[in-house]
Amino acid sequence: METKLIDHLFRHHSGKMVSILTRIFGLANLEIIEDAVQDTFLKASIKWRKQLPDNPEAWLTKAAKNRVLDIFRKIQTERKNLPELKNGIETIAINELFLDTEIADAQLRMIFTACHPKLNAKDRIAFALKTISGFSYKEISSALLTKETTIRKRIFRARKNIQQHNIQFKIPQGKELPNRLDSVLEVLYLIFNEGFHSNNKTTLVRKELCGEAMRLCKILLKNKHAQTSGTYALFALMCFHAARLDTKVNTNNEILDLKNQDRNKWSFPLIQLGNAIMDKAVENDEFSSYHYEAAIIAEHIKAPNFEQTNWNKILQWYQHLYKIQPTASHLLSMAVVSLQSKNYIKANYYFDQINPEDLEQRAYLFYAAKSDYFSLLNKKEKALKFIDIALRKVTNNLEKEYFQKKQEKLLK
Amino acid sequence: MKDFMMIFIGKEYTDLGLSQEEMQARMEKWFAWGNKMEQAGILRGGEALTPQIRRVTGQNRTVTDLTSADVKEIVGGFYLIKAKDFNAVQEIAQDFPDYDLGNTVEIREIMVFDH
Repeated sequence: METKLIDHLFRHHSGKMVSILTRIFGLANLEIIEDAVQDTFLKASIKWRKQLPDNPEAWLTKAAKNRVLDIFRKIQTERKNLPELKNGIETIAINELFLDTEIADAQLRMIFTACHPKLNAKDRIAFALKTISGFSYKEISSALLTKETTIRKRIFRARKNIQQHNIQFKIPQGKELPNRLDSVLEVLYLIFNEGFHSNNKTTLVRKELCGEAMRLCKILLKNKHAQTSGTYALFALMCFHAARLDTKVNTNNEILDLKNQDRNKWSFPLIQLGNAIMDKAVENDEFSSYHYEAAIIAEHIKAPNFEQTNWNKILQWYQHLYKIQPTASHLLSMAVVSLQSKNYIKANYYFDQINPEDLEQRAYLFYAAKSDYFSLLNKKEKALKFIDIALRKVTNNLEKEYFQKKQEKLLK
Repeated sequence: MKDFMMIFIGKEYTDLGLSQEEMQARMEKWFAWGNKMEQAGILRGGEALTPQIRRVTGQNRTVTDLTSADVKEIVGGFYLIKAKDFNAVQEIAQDFPDYDLGNTVEIREIMVFDH
């Protein structure tokens, strides 16, 4: 087996094992659990160099199960919240937890824990990637383009908050559920976006993040309490975006915008899946921001080519979206869409409402769009001025190159 | 193949005053036994029972609350397994880790009507 595949297997399995062991030992012992699982995998990777087991996944499960007693000992010596151990027969109950049906339950508990509203928004993402998805600190730091020490701090703080707020390792029910589920969807959406809009050079990292978000969303969809129209809409949105993930960058690792992507290479099966899921998402009238975002990207996908995109329809969807989510970023999108349909007055109307600072680190997109606006109006000087600002503000190298090309064109 | 239940009866570790180390050594054997049956593909499930007992007895439905410490023996749990016959289950039950504590495995066949 390739190292890459083993990494992948470890990663997925790690989340499962940590979740099951947390059911046994509780969130208070999370750190010990994670260390134990990590250690199991380390030993496995050394052992597997010589010979690969017939069923690697079963091997890992067994190894984690054998770890249960080690963890008991460890917790005992550290005198931390030790679960009661009275009888050998208890192993029967522990054994049951390692069954497939129970694994899904444990993972769902961990998802709800990691996305708990009591945790800081940024901590949730890092903690989820570590605990559910089994990313290492280093991998999280490179995926989120954040320093490793910062990631460690975030995860440490998340663990501390879980203790302080006495967060339970449970799937929320009743009145509590909708709010908690919203928080989960938000985290998955952010993880997906980190992947999709990633400033990361390596496609692999982007795919891992998008894939993880989709995998977790699928776990939600398998639970009857979590399969709401919002969850379906989010999954459809992810399918539509993922369908064109491969075409976002060309072989020279240059970013391609929607106009220049090879539409023939968009993944048809993912689009079909997205369509089917979208049908599920609109079975009732509760529309979330994910519904409108999915509708927007579906509209792009429907168009046989860039020129035939139905910009008016897209603008309408954005208007709906803006009503429930009045953000500067949506205003910018509406301005860009208006530019596409050559409605300069409308574009300007939206530009005027934007305070670039509200866009935070994406402010460069505002300046780039303004540059396009002036370029379309043949005001080269102004267009150059704005692309200059965009170039100064952008941090992502791929996007920087993309803007440089625009700049060169304007200078010609 | 028939379905059998192995019922575990005896004293709880804590009631016997076993140390943590002794308990863990026994847990290890329990795990090994469970894994062995699982790998043989004969394990169909099982449950462990908590040591709290509420008894309702007789005409007057007399209620008594007990713990494992109050009774001589307690049913601690069971495994459901597939086996050819009682002898085969007896063989499997050889690995039960707690005979030395005076504990018991009771083997019972699951009743099936197949007419």
